Amino acid sequence: MIRYMEKHMSKRNKLLLCPICEAVNIDTGKEILCRRCHSKIYKPKRIAYHKTLAFLITAMILYIPANLYPILINKQFGVQSESTILGGIMHLWESGSYPVALIILVASVFVPLLKFLFITYLLISTKYNVNSSRVDKHKLFHITEAIGSWSMVDVFVVAILSVLIHFSGIQIYPGVGATAFALMVFFTMLSALSFDTRLIKKEE
Amino acid sequence: MMKKYALDKLVICNNCHTVHQKIPLHQGGKALCSRCDAVIYRQDDTIIEKTLAITLTAFISLLIAFQSTILTININGLEQSLTLTSLFVVILENEQYLIAVMLVFLIVIFPLMILLSLLTILTLMKLKKSGYLVKRLLILLAYILPWSMVDIFFISILVAMVKLFDYAKIELGIAFGAFILTLILDIFITKNISFYELWNQHDTIYGETHVKEK
Repeated sequence: MIRYMEKHMSKRNKLLLCPICEAVNIDTGKEILCRRCHSKIYKPKRIAYHKTLAFLITAMILYIPANLYPILINKQFGVQSESTILGGIMHLWESGSYPVALIILVASVFVPLLKFLFITYLLISTKYNVNSSRVDKHKLFHITEAIGSWSMVDVFVVAILSVLIHFSGIQIYPGVGATAFALMVFFTMLSALSFDTRLIKKEE
Repeated sequence: MMKKYALDKLVICNNCHTVHQKIPLHQGGKALCSRCDAVIYRQDDTIIEKTLAITLTAFISLLIAFQSTILTININGLEQSLTLTSLFVVILENEQYLIAVMLVFLIVIFPLMILLSLLTILTLMKLKKSGYLVKRLLILLAYILPWSMVDIFFISILVAMVKLFDYAKIELGIAFGAFILTLILDIFITKNISFYELWNQHDTIYGETHVKEK
């Protein structure tokens, strides 16, 4: 047993973590089932790569209508005014609620952009073997996973406001931008979740 | 069988994927990653009982949060209150079906599923029964865990409150407190027990289940 362990300790990067149950498995390079939960760990690397890429591109495309179209439609006695995400942030900033403006700015503008950047970097660096530490990439991936759901704040806020401001004179509706935005967040999360951490190990 | 045993002595940090050898801990201790200082596993003999109690409380308070009024606003005598049902009614009235579906899943179905399956898992583990069901539920849990957004929903409520602060009087409802309670308990649950430990408990209770062999 000890000899077996030593053999595998020497090839530490042959070991991999099951993404479902976190059991330690041996990477044989072929399709393997996790020895504890029997879920498939190995997808062919090219498919995993392209899946992440496809989700990422979808999310990036959706990011454009999410920002251009109004996320919120405000109807005041028949007069209709619309505001986009950036418009809403500007309005909040001008009215003096700086912390909230910052929260929304970070959550709905920076977080998606950061996720795009991180996932693109992970994909490019794993494909072209960019020289950087493997640990850093794993950490970067972990961050990308963790910040995923934060961008939904704006969609939820619009939904809540549309319930509360629902009088005969003044009404607020969610606009097209809200749907696009929700979809965008959905696809960035899918993209992050479908990223195969084994791609990071490939280079060594 | 030797092979499996050797692998079980190893543990990989979930944060930076560094391989470590497992070491025995004393009661209440925790093992940190040597490279990134993230907690890898803990040793706690009463972990099932503790987590079961917290999960049950979280589940009840989440149910309360879903049923009662979150907040009521008052603009010059006109009142409007926010509950989860009114949220869906209004969104469906506005014909935003996609947002409605996403909200139902992210705020209601997934959080309830997570808490319910955790409850079932822990209860069955305590009774030491039906290992297969526990295993299936643990796998299910791994898939749905990233999709619960109750915490984000709560932050959105706060943001909406700030936006309305200048125009309206805001009264907080019971559900507002229930949401806070659920979130605090949720932090305790995730801090107390990780996937690694749930699977570890599963292995120690139901024995060696690594049957698939090539």
